[in-house]
Amino acid sequence: MASTATAISVSATSSPFKLSLSHFPKKNYNSSFLSLSKPSISHSLSSRKSIFTQNLSSKPSFSLIPKFSESEAPVIEPEAAPDPESTEIETGVEVETALTQIVEVEKEVPKREEIFAVVMIGSRQYIVFPGRFIYIQRLKGANVNDKIILNKVLLVGTKNSTYIGKPVVTNAAVHAVVEEQGLNPKVIVFKYKKKKNYRRKIGHRQPNTRIRITSITGYQDYPATTLET
Amino acid sequence: MNKDKIFKLAKGFRGRAKNCIRIARERVEKALQYSYRDRRTKKRDMRSLWIERINAGTRSHGVNYGNFMHGLMKENIQLNRKVLSELSMHEPYSFKALVDVSRNAFPGNKKVVLPPTKVGLSIVV
Repeated sequence: MASTATAISVSATSSPFKLSLSHFPKKNYNSSFLSLSKPSISHSLSSRKSIFTQNLSSKPSFSLIPKFSESEAPVIEPEAAPDPESTEIETGVEVETALTQIVEVEKEVPKREEIFAVVMIGSRQYIVFPGRFIYIQRLKGANVNDKIILNKVLLVGTKNSTYIGKPVVTNAAVHAVVEEQGLNPKVIVFKYKKKKNYRRKIGHRQPNTRIRITSITGYQDYPATTLET
Repeated sequence: MNKDKIFKLAKGFRGRAKNCIRIARERVEKALQYSYRDRRTKKRDMRSLWIERINAGTRSHGVNYGNFMHGLMKENIQLNRKVLSELSMHEPYSFKALVDVSRNAFPGNKKVVLPPTKVGLSIVV
């Protein structure tokens, strides 16, 4: 019986950076790249192994077109495979295609480009990832759901190359959407001088703006430092 | 009313300072004074922490902090120490690119010694 290839290509992304979780957005799914599809892969691998111990080989191979080769197997060997085995293979292929479709749908949802930028807003610098939000100083003229373009991009990093700005990466832009204009948590300012009967207590909430980063563009033409792998 | 606010601020204090109003009031006032002072010292502490981290990151590439910052200033790269420390922790390849840029701009005045390579027990055994 021809070896059946499994549908899963374990994406060993040797990505050059790990993500810092300082800005953790409220999302339904995990926003770190590396751990994205691994839970779904391991779950489906174990479930498939339990059902199809006869038909599947133990090692997952790295091809993405298993249904093709499996459907060809009964065609290539019509004499060697008797009828009950071929029907088993076909039903195996059908259920496998259903499972592979489920796996692929799970994988398709979180597609993020692996890129980050260092942007300067309000004389402070932030490391920014698309899809996450950050809190910045209040922007006076901005309303909710306004699109914003940030021009002072000091560094852009992609999976294999870094664009270091001197001081700015020319023509690079970070696009963002204003989500909310709120206030920081309250800080109590307490002034006290001893033996002079002087006490002042003031509460203070600094206004802020929450923006969500949508994309990073315009850095491609800049000279880059590329990682040779 | 004020008493409740004092006790709310006195949560986690030691001994009678969280339960008895006379003592709690003193301790809470002291705590608020400390927080006023430390909001200013926090900025200093964080900066020295970033510098330590950048130093560690650059020394593993054979450059010390002073020469690294001098090279960056020469190249007009205006990344601040907070971002540089984050890059040295989480984006090692980008940080190495920065160290190379700085080394080209300012090779340093002394011969820099790389940290000694650590050998395992297999040498002895």
